[in-house]
Amino acid sequence: MADMIVLLRQVPDLVEELELNDDSTDVEREFMKFVLSEWDDYALEEALLVKEASQGSVTVVALDDPDVDQVLYTALAKGADKAVKLTGSEEGWIDSHQRARTIASWMRNQTYDLVLTGVQSVEDIDGQVGMLLAQELQHPHVSVVVSVETKNGSARVTQEFGGGRFSELDVQLPAVLGIQQSRQAPRYAPISRVRQAQQAGGLEEVPTEVSGGSGLTVRRLYAPESTDHAEMLEGSADEVADKIIELLRSRGLIK
Amino acid sequence: MSVFAAGPGPIDEIQTREVFANFGFFELALFYLLTAVAIGLFAYGAFRRIRKYARGRRAGRLTMPFRRTVVRTAEIGANATIGHRYPMVGVAHFLIFWGFIVLFIGTVILTIDHDIVRIAFGEEASFFKGTFYIVYSVILDTWGVAFLAGLAYMGLRRGLSRPRNLDYKRAEEPPEGYSRAQFVRGDWLFLGLLAFIAVTGYLEEGARIVASDFPDFEIWSPVGWLVGRGFEAIGVDAAGPGETWRHVLWWVHSLAALGFVAYIPFSKAMHMLTDFGNLLFFDEGSSRRLSPPVEAPDHAGYQSLEDFTWKELLDLDACTKCGRCHVVCPANAAGAPLSPRDLILDLRQWADQSTSTVSILDREHRVEPTGPLTVNGDGTKLAGDVIKQSTLWSCTTCMACVEACPVGIEHVPTIIQLRRSLVDEGSMEQSLVDALSNIASQGNSFGKSSRMRARWTKSLDFTIPDARKEPVKYLWFVGDFASFDERLQEQSRTLARLLHRSGVSFGILYEGEWNAGNDVRRVGEEGLFELLVEHNREALEAARFEEIFTTDPHSLNTLKNEYPDFGASYPVKHYTELLRDLIKSGEIKVRPLGRKVTYHDPCYLARYNNITRAPRLILEAMACHVKEMPRNKQGTFCCGAGGGRIWMDDSGLVERPSENRIREAMELGVDYFVVSCPKDLTMYSDAAKTTGNEDKLTVIDVVGLVAEAMDAPEPAMASEAGDVG
Repeated sequence: MADMIVLLRQVPDLVEELELNDDSTDVEREFMKFVLSEWDDYALEEALLVKEASQGSVTVVALDDPDVDQVLYTALAKGADKAVKLTGSEEGWIDSHQRARTIASWMRNQTYDLVLTGVQSVEDIDGQVGMLLAQELQHPHVSVVVSVETKNGSARVTQEFGGGRFSELDVQLPAVLGIQQSRQAPRYAPISRVRQAQQAGGLEEVPTEVSGGSGLTVRRLYAPESTDHAEMLEGSADEVADKIIELLRSRGLIK
Repeated sequence: MSVFAAGPGPIDEIQTREVFANFGFFELALFYLLTAVAIGLFAYGAFRRIRKYARGRRAGRLTMPFRRTVVRTAEIGANATIGHRYPMVGVAHFLIFWGFIVLFIGTVILTIDHDIVRIAFGEEASFFKGTFYIVYSVILDTWGVAFLAGLAYMGLRRGLSRPRNLDYKRAEEPPEGYSRAQFVRGDWLFLGLLAFIAVTGYLEEGARIVASDFPDFEIWSPVGWLVGRGFEAIGVDAAGPGETWRHVLWWVHSLAALGFVAYIPFSKAMHMLTDFGNLLFFDEGSSRRLSPPVEAPDHAGYQSLEDFTWKELLDLDACTKCGRCHVVCPANAAGAPLSPRDLILDLRQWADQSTSTVSILDREHRVEPTGPLTVNGDGTKLAGDVIKQSTLWSCTTCMACVEACPVGIEHVPTIIQLRRSLVDEGSMEQSLVDALSNIASQGNSFGKSSRMRARWTKSLDFTIPDARKEPVKYLWFVGDFASFDERLQEQSRTLARLLHRSGVSFGILYEGEWNAGNDVRRVGEEGLFELLVEHNREALEAARFEEIFTTDPHSLNTLKNEYPDFGASYPVKHYTELLRDLIKSGEIKVRPLGRKVTYHDPCYLARYNNITRAPRLILEAMACHVKEMPRNKQGTFCCGAGGGRIWMDDSGLVERPSENRIREAMELGVDYFVVSCPKDLTMYSDAAKTTGNEDKLTVIDVVGLVAEAMDAPEPAMASEAGDVG
């Protein structure tokens, strides 16, 4: 039994070609298509799995990102119990600090056991939102979580490390988890269910007012500059090994 | 001596027979009591079945009264559907069908004379005598022989030649084991009962003729006469035990016949009634134009008996297990866990079990209550437990089963209704989820940006008009595969160049076009289908054109047959029809190619929309010699990609349908395998490779050949080129 809050955010759809704005400080957002951050989709799926296993509730919350209503209704169609949209934030890119603070300001009035969010997003590859939120609310935090199980006021989570290693941790609740992967692929929400949810309405809009972010400003956004192309070494394993040794020798890295 | 002279006299002297000769009161009462019981059981059984159908939803099948009653009745009377591709079975069934009806009418006439006319108007009013009796006798005796001949053919076919379609081995076999021995016994009981009734009828007739000492007019019952002579030869005669034998045989025959009457609604024999209804109310368009899902607040697909329409419930009882669907099904041929026959029989058993319907020798047995034996309740699911998910997902919606079914069963719409249940609960494989998600967000299954849809046109040296910006004659609905698949983009460019060169006015919708949704709907994702229709309808409304033509037969099907239900009604043709028209009118000039080709009919073109002539006319115009594969036109064999299968994993198959098809074509000794569907080009190019026939058989689109024919040298040289090719 756990009441869960899942943070959702919209990110640019990387299927589209990204264009920069005139002063190269942000992507051109006006004509951009936005989709739910992949990792947030995992966080929602994991929360729904926890709810199925041990009851409880799932509340999804998002800032007023572009096309976010659709995503919130889709979450309701998948089985979330409540959807909240925090309005009042500025348009354009919202940095992790501001995002975490805005959500925290709303969460202080909520009761919950677990907060799940994507471990990172394509716009926040250092995965700060979860950590910052935990800091704001003074909750324990675990990142890179691939499985969640709740029992008697604590959660057992599996954290993934590089090289195929895992650790299993018990976390005191309430806690904030950064989800890397859900136990199963995010479920499909049939369009007719999403439309039903849309028709039923029930999206709670909460005005929030938060100022101050990380204090950083973006000076320049740019596409990675391509350097020399890679050279593919071909042949059998032994031949390739010989070529590598020769290369390293020729550059004076080994003798 | 004139046998037709029916002189006046006591009843035993005129030309007739006595119905209840030498019957005491008790015996007579017993017969009428048993008759009443038999008819009562029949009525009860029929009532139970009808009550089951009445639980179903409305089916909208009371349209076209003339076509359904007069035309269909004539077809049923001719046994036309049964003879389709199985002429000998058609003839045998015709004999049994009409033999049964004639003999039944014979009994009814006897009843009318004996129990109505004579009782109401007195003995002298009887018409069952004289000329009438003689004509009656000769007709019944002859049809009795026809009846037995039909039964003999069916019995020999079933028992000796054992065609594959009569093998009841399941496509999806439960690991814990199952038995369909009852099915086999049920078939033999049915055939045997019919034969037994006919044979005992003749024996009784023979004994009667012996017992009455061969009166002249009884020669008009020739079989009975011969049987009587046979009896005489073994010492059964009028002086001896003739009458006793007659009396005993009378009861044997009558009890068998009465038993049969009671047996009808509980057995395979019910098909005599259910199939008449099922064919009357059959809708050949139900697969090409699907019905919307059930209007229920809590579920979208079929979950219980009440979700089925009465016609769909009738479908279940209509099946005679003839197995024609089983042998034409590409999924079954490929080793997938689907057989349309098993699907219908499983649903029938489940429906019968749910309604406590009694059935004689029509049950599959299993060690565990799985599949059709699944007990309702406890979270068991119709789509998932009774019918396995893997079974439902195996269907390519090629409609071969519906086309082959002699009794008007519509398997495909039922499968899709069950799939809608799976989609509603999100039970599908990941690749399908990805495809649907991509279509929902970008309008194509490739996961590419919708803005890239017309990128294939970039490398053309002309610009295809945007039909939303300038009026065109033809609006080309290109489709996902022809737009995004790199191998197929070249085909699309070929067609574009060819039309441009011929001065044809055509345009496209650019990013306004989204997946047409034919396969999305057939996957069971109705909500997404509606979304796509809305999107495309808006784009089409914004465009100015006279006619639509499509590359993809699947797109053609939904645009032509389903979009009108959603307020988007346009004339739609396939590009092969357009090319045919352009060649005919001389706008496209082709020269002879003289190739040896075979042509593969796409299911959605040939079977769904009866378009088989256009592509062949194009090939003939290019002097290509078309050698037909055994399975052609409406009897074509599916490539395996339809109904959303193209988005699912096919690695578990024993032999891909496309490979099976290439092997079929290899038998013909042709050089080209011509297709007219973008999915076919990829499916068959791959299959030609995997079967190792890539060097012997060239898979080519009609467009590819037309383009070659436009550039081909003068005819004299073309024939040489043809020989080389």
